[in-house]
Amino acid sequence: MVPPSSGPFLFDTSAESWLARAEHPSINAWMREYLSHDEIHISAVTVMERVRGYSLLWRRAAKSRQERIERARVAYLTKLGRVWPVDGAVAVVAGEIMALLPDPPTPPRRSHQLRESRQERLARWRFDAMIAATALVARVPLIHNNAGDFESIRTAIERSPERFPNLGPLDLIRCASLA
Amino acid sequence: MNRKPRFSLPLKKRRTTLTLPADSLTEAQRIARTRRVNLSTVIAEALSEGLRLQTVGERSEEVLESYKKAFSGFSDEEMSILDGVLLESVNRR
Repeated sequence: MVPPSSGPFLFDTSAESWLARAEHPSINAWMREYLSHDEIHISAVTVMERVRGYSLLWRRAAKSRQERIERARVAYLTKLGRVWPVDGAVAVVAGEIMALLPDPPTPPRRSHQLRESRQERLARWRFDAMIAATALVARVPLIHNNAGDFESIRTAIERSPERFPNLGPLDLIRCASLA
Repeated sequence: MNRKPRFSLPLKKRRTTLTLPADSLTEAQRIARTRRVNLSTVIAEALSEGLRLQTVGERSEEVLESYKKAFSGFSDEEMSILDGVLLESVNRR
């Protein structure tokens, strides 16, 4: 178990929503305790991914559902915690990660009759690199729900410490191990 | 150039009468004696900390409530899109 008081932590996009939707009492208790100490820290990349998601759903939705999606979007944006920018330092570190690992370590997602295009997969991989870079620059552990991508980044950074002077290691925490 | 030091204004205080649990009062008096401060100081600090925790608790609930509104009522596919994973129909290709 990770003590909630040992934060702050940076929450990856899917970790944030996983924790928000979790129904297990111990996870809910962990979140309450965490919020009594710290804000939710996220990358500006997460805000971008999220807003794109709400907007895409809104465009696809019937008129009767659009209002519900807009309310969800406003609820999300109203209570944003600390949003870390993609500034010069994050851009430098993210660029190094992308150069070390130009291709996504896992294939595009698939589910029944749906699949992620290669282009989308590459974009998502680069966003993950930017989120990992944010955690490194902010010097906070990254809570994630995507071991395939983030463990690869952590390993790459460990193997090339000269490209990340005074940074690292990338401290990763899986959602499921929180409580 | 030397700047004048800036001092914060003293907090405005008001006298009031409270009824407190005897145990709490005894404990507060003990702490006041130990720290060599007056009872009002100890009570004021405890109240301030209690109010801070209350505010933090309310803020936590507000954030969690907001998250519920932000992420409930979506299918797994819709949640994928909200998480930045855009899936498209295989037949569209």
